[in-house]
This record gives sequence, C-alpha cells and structure tokens, in this order.
Amino acid sequence: MRWRWARVIGLAAALSVAGVVLLGATAAGHAQPPTARPDVTFARDVAPVIYAKCGVCHRPGGSGPFSLLTYADARQHARQIATVTQRGYMPPYLADAHVSGPFMNQPRLTDAELALLARWAEEGAPEGDARATPAPPHWTEGWQLGTPDVVVSTARYTVPAGGTDVFRIFVVRVPVDGPKFVRGIEFRPGNLRVVHHANIRIDRTPGSRQFDDDDPAPGYSGLIAPGATYPDGHFLGWTPGQVPPLLPKGMAWRLEPGTDLVVELHLQPSGRAEEVETSVGFYFGSDPPERTPAMLRLGQQGIDIPAGAAGHVITDRYTLPVDVEVQAVQPHAHYRAKEMWGTAELPDGTVRPLIHIADWDFRWQHVYRYEQPFALPKGTTLVMRYTYDNSAENPRNPIVPPTRVFWGQRSVDEMGDLWVQVLTKTPDDLDRLTSEFGRKVMTEDTIGYERWLQSEPESLALHNDVASLYLKLNRPADAARHFASVVARTPDDAAAHFNLGTALTVAGDYDRAVQEYGRALTLRPAYPQAHTNLGSILLARGDTATAAAHFAAAIQLDPTNAQASYNAGVAAGRLGRYTEAVTHLQRALSVEADYTVALVELAWVRAAAPDPRARDGAAAVAAATHADALTRHRDAAVLDVLAAAQAAHGQFAAAVASADEALALGPANVAAIRLRRSLYASGRPFVIPDSGPVR
Amino acid sequence: MAAAVLAGAALVPTVLVPPTAAGAEQGVTVAVARPAPMDLALQDLDGRTVRPFQASEGRRAVIFLYAAVECPVSNRYAPIVQQLHETFAPQGVAFWLVYPNPFDTPAAIRAHLRDFAYPVHALRDPDHRLVALTSAQVTPEAAVFRSDRTLAYHGRIDNRFVSLGVERPSATVHDLREAIGAVLGGRPVATPSAPGVGCFIADFVP
Repeated sequence: MRWRWARVIGLAAALSVAGVVLLGATAAGHAQPPTARPDVTFARDVAPVIYAKCGVCHRPGGSGPFSLLTYADARQHARQIATVTQRGYMPPYLADAHVSGPFMNQPRLTDAELALLARWAEEGAPEGDARATPAPPHWTEGWQLGTPDVVVSTARYTVPAGGTDVFRIFVVRVPVDGPKFVRGIEFRPGNLRVVHHANIRIDRTPGSRQFDDDDPAPGYSGLIAPGATYPDGHFLGWTPGQVPPLLPKGMAWRLEPGTDLVVELHLQPSGRAEEVETSVGFYFGSDPPERTPAMLRLGQQGIDIPAGAAGHVITDRYTLPVDVEVQAVQPHAHYRAKEMWGTAELPDGTVRPLIHIADWDFRWQHVYRYEQPFALPKGTTLVMRYTYDNSAENPRNPIVPPTRVFWGQRSVDEMGDLWVQVLTKTPDDLDRLTSEFGRKVMTEDTIGYERWLQSEPESLALHNDVASLYLKLNRPADAARHFASVVARTPDDAAAHFNLGTALTVAGDYDRAVQEYGRALTLRPAYPQAHTNLGSILLARGDTATAAAHFAAAIQLDPTNAQASYNAGVAAGRLGRYTEAVTHLQRALSVEADYTVALVELAWVRAAAPDPRARDGAAAVAAATHADALTRHRDAAVLDVLAAAQAAHGQFAAAVASADEALALGPANVAAIRLRRSLYASGRPFVIPDSGPVR
Repeated sequence: MAAAVLAGAALVPTVLVPPTAAGAEQGVTVAVARPAPMDLALQDLDGRTVRPFQASEGRRAVIFLYAAVECPVSNRYAPIVQQLHETFAPQGVAFWLVYPNPFDTPAAIRAHLRDFAYPVHALRDPDHRLVALTSAQVTPEAAVFRSDRTLAYHGRIDNRFVSLGVERPSATVHDLREAIGAVLGGRPVATPSAPGVGCFIADFVP
C-alpha cells in the first residue's frame, strides 16, 4: 500500500498548487483569470489516456460495465474515474510496478496521467475543442486472434440474481481427430456482466469428466481434478482485458484427441438472473514444439493459520539446478492473503523482485507476463513470501468471526502458490529441472492431500490419488496405507485389492501382495493386470511354471498387455522354451515398439539361446541396436547383449568393441562380460549353457 | 460540490444533542430536522410531475432508493431491494426508486426496471432536488423519511461493500433494514447516516 499513499500525497500537492495560482490571479483582478497551465480538456488530454489505458475494457462491447470513449460517456463518470484511479482500483492491475515488471498488457497509469485525470474532474470535466478530439483506436470485434480452428462452448448455466460469488467448473471435450499443436487459445466470456475470470486447464484423464457427470446440472461446483493441469508448462486462463498472444513458432503445446478442456468460471451475480455460455477458440500451428517451458509452483500446502492472526507468513524456496529464462509468473491465494512477494536470490547475492502485490485481491487472478523475459543462473533461489490476515479486521475474510484455516481448494480455505514459467537452455536441462521439481511439488501435494483427507476421510478418490503420488515418490508404504483405507471401505472391489497388492509389491511385502492379488482374482477372475503382477512375484520367487500360467491367462484376456507378453517371454526362456519366448517377446514389441527390456530380452534369446531354432543373429543385432539407441549407449547390460548379438551375427570385432564399451561403464558383472569378450576375441559366439539360467 | 452545499441549507438547523452529563442516555444522540417539503416534485418516466410525499401520505415511512442504469454495484442490490420491499411494503412503507443521473433516459430506465425486476415505482431526479435534500453521493444509496417527513436515515443499504474493490462475502450490518425497523418501532435510528459505496451521482446537469 505504501506507494499508493505516496502517489495520493503527490497528487494533493499538485492540486493545491493549482489552487494557489488561481487565487493569485483573482486577487490581481483579471476578469478571466489566466492560469499558469492550460486547461485540462477531454479533447486534447484525457481522450488519449482513456483510449490507451481504459478503452480495452470500457468501450461498447468491452468487458467494463460502461463505455468511456466519448466525451458524454467520460464526463458523466469523471468523478468516478478520478477516484478509482487514485485508489488504484482501476486499471485493475495489482502488481507493484515500482519493483516488478514491466508486464505485458498492463496499462498502468503514470503519476502524471493520474494527476491529469484528477485535475480534469476537479475542473468540471471540460471538453475543449471537440473537433480536436482524436478518433478512438480500432478494436477488433469478435475473436481477437482471428478465426479459430476449433471452438468449444461450455454448457449454458444460469447465475442467480443475488448472493455470493459462484465458482462453476465446466468440462468440454475438444473435438480433434488427431494430435494438434496449439499455438494459443482465446476465451470469450459470452456474458460480461457476470463472468469475472476464467481458470482454464486441460485434462487428459477422465477425472474432470467424472466430476462433471456426477453433477446433474451443467458443470459442477467443487474442486479442480488432479488430472486437470496446465499443458506442457503453458498458462491458460482469462481475466478481463487480457488476450494472451499466440505462442511463437516452436513453442506450441500438443493436444491429443480425447482431451477435455476444463474451464472454471468465477461468476459474480449482477442483480438479475443471468445466462452464461462461454466459448474457447483453439489456434493450431503446423510446427511441433521445439522448446517446452517448465512450470514451477512454489507454495505450501501445510498452511495452518490461527484464528485472528493478522500477519501470518507463508514462505517457500527453491534453488534452480540449471540456468533458466523467466517468462511469466502467476500468484494465487484466496481471500485472506494481503501482501505477496516473489523474489529471486542470485548466486552473487543480488536480489531481483519477480513480483510484489501490496494488497492482493482474489478477484484479479492475472498471469503476469514479462515484457522482457530475463535470465536467472543455476544456483538462483526462487523465494515466495505471502502474508495473510485472518482477523475480523480483514473485510474480505469469508469466515467471521475467524476460525483456524487450513490449506484447501475451496474459497473458504486458503492457498498460497507462486507459479513461475521458465525456459531452459537445453532439453536435458528441462528433464533435470522437471524431474527435480516434480518431486518437490508431488511431496507438497501429498501434504495437501493428507490435510484434505482429514476433512473428507471417506473420499476414495482422494485416497487413491495420494497413494498414486506416493508410488511416484517411491514411498510404497504410504501408498499401501491409503490403498488399504480404500480396501477397508470397499472390500468387494477387485481394483482396490489390486492397487494395494501393487503398493505392497513395490514395498517388498510379497506375501501380503500375493494375498491381495489372489483376492482381486477371486472377485474378478478376468483381471489381466492382476494375473500379470501376481505372475511377476511368482517368477521372482522361482515358481516359474505357475507364473507362466498367470501370464498366459493375462495374454488371453488382453493380447495388448505388453508387460504380460514380456513376462511370458522371460518365463518361457527360464523354462527352456526359447522359440515360445521369441513369440511372446515379439508380441510385446508389436504392442510397444520401444519397450527396452523386451528388446534386450529378445536380442539375448536370438543371440544366445541353446535351441538353434530360436537363434537369429541379424534379428538379435537389430533388437540390441534399437535398445542401445534408446538407452543412449550408456547401459552396460544393453552393450553386453549387443556384443553377444554382434558375435552371433559373425561381427566379432564389433562384439569385442561393444564388450569393451560395456566394461568401461563399470558394470556389476565384470567377470561374465570378460569371459564372453574372450570368446568373441577368438572368433566364437556366446551360447547359454543348455541347463543354465538365462543369464 | 454544489449539491452538498444545498443539502446543508435544506436541512438546517440540524442540532445534535450531546449525551447527558449524568450518562443516563450515554451514546444516544437525537437529530432534530425540519420536515422535507410536502410538495417536493420529481418526474415520472413520462415527464409528469410526481410529488412522492403527497403520494405517500398516510404511510408509516417513505423510502427512496437511488439507482443508476449503468452502475454494477447498484445493480447488485436489486435482489436486496426486492426483499426489503417484500418485507416492509405490507407494513405500510412507501418505496420509490430514484434515478438521479440526468443521462439515464426514461427508455433506458424502463428497460432497467424490467431487467432487474424492480417492484417499485421509478422517478427521475435530474435536477437533484431529492439528492440535495438527502445528501446522496452515490448509487446505490437510500433515504428513510418518517411519516412526519423528517429524515431518519440516509446512506448505504448495508456494509457489504467496504470500498470499491473491497467487499465482504456478505453484509454484516444491514443499515437500511435496521433504520426502517427503528422508524416503524418508533425508536431512534442508531446510525442515522453511513456513507455509501458505489458510483458517484453525476454532479452536473446536461
């Protein structure tokens, strides 16, 4: 708030100076008091400011509640204009321009413009020479980005006349017949009186659709599904007056058929019942993405604000493992957040503000795109620091008298996120950043889920979602705890037992895993994944024949289950049935061509099977070469198999070289590779001893 | 602003009685004001003169609600106005909707009344006669007159809006409802005036 006060004081000083001049002139006895400055007129001074800074919304058909383009329009609102601009309420950009930005599409008024508007109102809003009024700029009507390639509309919904703000989520399938490269979307609110802003995501999972289907009315009210995300590191969303430009060539994001668009509308009742039907236009390009941004989300989901706390601080930090270029930021919190800081602490000790908002307003959820993206070196720490006011003195507090507040998506809960969109220099840097940051975000998400589950312990979806996160974080015991909660609530659901079995398998608790898979198969005998996973445990335990039977059952139920075919291939090999192993592995690869372990297994059998009918040197080399490329020539086990394949194909010099490359990587089975290398060096291939294990 | 000066002139003398020294009536102040002129004349949407106090004679209270066609804050109060009308009209309270902005044409006002389902007679006050009498600054605002035409309350409808851009999820103080209730109950109005938040009434005549 401090800078705003400073601005107001400056303005008051300017006005009193004008008054002094006027008085002095009157005392001198002039009939028409000459002024030290010419009059401020609409024609010459005010119209250009309004056109440039207000007209994008305050024009006929714009998102503002009234137009300000003509003198008559502006004159009747003159006092309002002066007041709301001085207060910083209009134009509605929250970011403190003195420390952060400049941001794109942010028509902030300069101090001189503010003083001008105030003086104009104070002096009676004169028109000046009407003929000198410049013509208003031309604004494109309809789609700002041109005719879209595809348009989808949200279901028609009626907003009640009164009451508090409405948040409604709509899910719409994007009708495309093949993968598309999206260069941009444009949101059209349809009914500007009630649509305050739109939060837009895409969902490649059925999660959002399920939520929508569960609510018989158009759209649904509740939480954004976990599967609804920003696509490939790109912000979507709309606030009045903002149309994000099309992405530059090579920056498009990929849209697959079967993807849902998820639009959360923030709707403000207008005083009468209003129909709302929004639309989103998609703009496709021909070029596949070359550079994909990363979306970093700083924030805490362990938010716990005591009742009445007026200055509660939430912070988060993250140190960048690679060089990046910052493109945009989007702060997010609910009604109790007051002040927001995002900063970057560079390795040399300098601190660069990313964004500062002195008085957060939940209703203006802008994406702040930097006019000039800037570099931050590896080792820079991104810091967010948000201050919350959960006292009764905060008029925006949705619960009065205040209560203790936790993290949550509902607007009566609190959130605190700072999204930072960055570009990396290389794809490898992007991989490193997203995998490192992904762990941080997933860990934070588990905290949010655990909090959420305390208020909704019966929600199976929440237990399943958080368990999946724990599996990704390699915390199988935590995953098993939540899957067990689901089993306890739905003991006759085969999938619940399967999920628990999977977590127990990862945790190494094979005895209980076998029980759970067995229970799943009792409840649902035709359950290919359960056969596959149960077979895997049995295979690991040496019960190869029983394992093979489960794999066969899985394949019969679902021939496209590549894991079952791969496992069946491994089992057949162990049982000495090498030609059968080849058939299974080929089936696995026909489903999933880049299935690395299947390629390796096939190459090994083709190269070294004791059964000559299974051997095929050329096929072995092809499979091994493919696997070696997929592992970027860095996997010793793959190079060992490639050497065996080359030897089986009579390429002994190449085989020796591949074995040497494998040895150079420091593999675990040095002795075996050396033994095989000595065979190749003497012009002989390696063949598995007839009765021995596969490797 | 010229209108504010006129308002003071019309209401003089406004004498605020301080709390008694004994503290028996601590915190209670009583405003004694001259009644509004019975023949105060405004316009209806056909340009005819309407004298709302004469037309409301015999009612227990007369309420004026200031509205503007283009003001989103004013519009958002339409459902509240409907509720107040529903509650108090059967109790002998007269309601008048007043459009003070000279630029709000009768045609635009008719469309507005229809769109927002106002159940109340609409008047225009382009010369700001009532605006001056009630010191109105913005839309939406209300003025409550007792049956003797003394001003009991003027200002905001409730405290939902703290300032432009800052609003509560719902109002916690319902000034207008309490003022009407006090007048009907023959009690002094606890808060005789509270500034409104909304759109400034255009302070000039075209």
